[in-house]
Amino acid sequence: MTLALVPADRLDLDSFARATGLHPELVRRLVALGLLEVVRDEAGNLWFLPGQIAAAYRLQRLRAGLSLNYASLGVVVDLLDRISRLEAELRNRPRPHGGQPWT
Amino acid sequence: MAEAQDFYEVLGLGRDATAQEIQRAYRKLARTYHPDVNKDPAAERRFQEISEAYEVLSDPETRRRYDAFGPDFRQVPPDVDPQTWARARARGGSQARPSAAADDDVWVSSGFSGVEFDIDDLLGGMFGGARRGWGRTAGADQEAELVLSIEEAYRGGRRSITVAGTAGPRSFQVTVPAGVTEGQRIRLAGQGGQGSGGAPAGDLYLVVRLAAHPRYRPDGRDLYVDLLLTPWEAALGASVAVDTPEGEAKVRVKPGTSTGKRLRLRGRGLPNPRGARGDLYAEVKIMVPAKLNKEERRLFEALAATSTFDPRRGE
Repeated sequence: MTLALVPADRLDLDSFARATGLHPELVRRLVALGLLEVVRDEAGNLWFLPGQIAAAYRLQRLRAGLSLNYASLGVVVDLLDRISRLEAELRNRPRPHGGQPWT
Repeated sequence: MAEAQDFYEVLGLGRDATAQEIQRAYRKLARTYHPDVNKDPAAERRFQEISEAYEVLSDPETRRRYDAFGPDFRQVPPDVDPQTWARARARGGSQARPSAAADDDVWVSSGFSGVEFDIDDLLGGMFGGARRGWGRTAGADQEAELVLSIEEAYRGGRRSITVAGTAGPRSFQVTVPAGVTEGQRIRLAGQGGQGSGGAPAGDLYLVVRLAAHPRYRPDGRDLYVDLLLTPWEAALGASVAVDTPEGEAKVRVKPGTSTGKRLRLRGRGLPNPRGARGDLYAEVKIMVPAKLNKEERRLFEALAATSTFDPRRGE
């Protein structure tokens, strides 16, 4: 019997490659470049969280649409994530409520 | 597919643009309208147009044919003389199109899908395809603003919204939950950017914006409203009506209330589907008549002569 060391909703390399339509070797390369996040089990297998599918699709869109190389993909993705975080903070920031001037 | 646009116009260029100018214009526009950079639903279509224009104009041979034959260039067999084509078109309109010859269209080899050209095929080829090993591509998430009045946010209900799409405007009926607040996002699954090669579409997020209101100023679920008082109401105390989204409420103003004092009406702000309702704050603002009549003037002068109150001395 094999003990499940990772939750069932994580995908192994082949399932992830199938889900994204990417070649498994390309997936490995993206992982090696730090463009996709993975969890490694004790046997060294790669496991992907479901959210990484959207991340892989975004890498595809950016690479194809803007002809970005691997190094710049990382920078762009980091900056886009940072902008999203800042925009979310801005959306949820309490507004000053003094409102209109008195006069 | 949408009505054919002039590829030079799409890139903002004249017909004499150099290859470098075409590339520069494309790169700049692609950066602006890329669906992962620009979340406006209208950007997706714009990006497709830009990409298509660049695909055609960046290849000298395709560009030459586009210049010669116009938007129908993909339907023209390779060895046709432009002037013959123009004459044939002028004579017979669409009947002049060679139908059979176009089936072995040479442009298939340059990445296009043939006579039944479709932008999705073009993007499918660009974004994915075995030749690049990059698989199919899901659509990006998009964001559009949903502007609501305070009353709509208070009550919730159905609202229709129209956003841009690749095939023209798209309308949605959305159910706005009662008590949405500024900046909240409503997710419409699968209504974002289109996927290619059978990959799923992205999601469309509607970001709630509360329109400026003549009375209410929202802060999260709390509402602020001005409570206008006469000097004598503020000095002597009064019971005053305040508008709230669910109707009028009475507040008791204590004697000696100055401008800036906030009276809280607990739970009279925006509702909260998951917790406590917001409060309504009535902020006191003392108003004086712009013009005094004779009697008012006499009374104020008598008050000025009698009173020792001086707010500037901190009494």
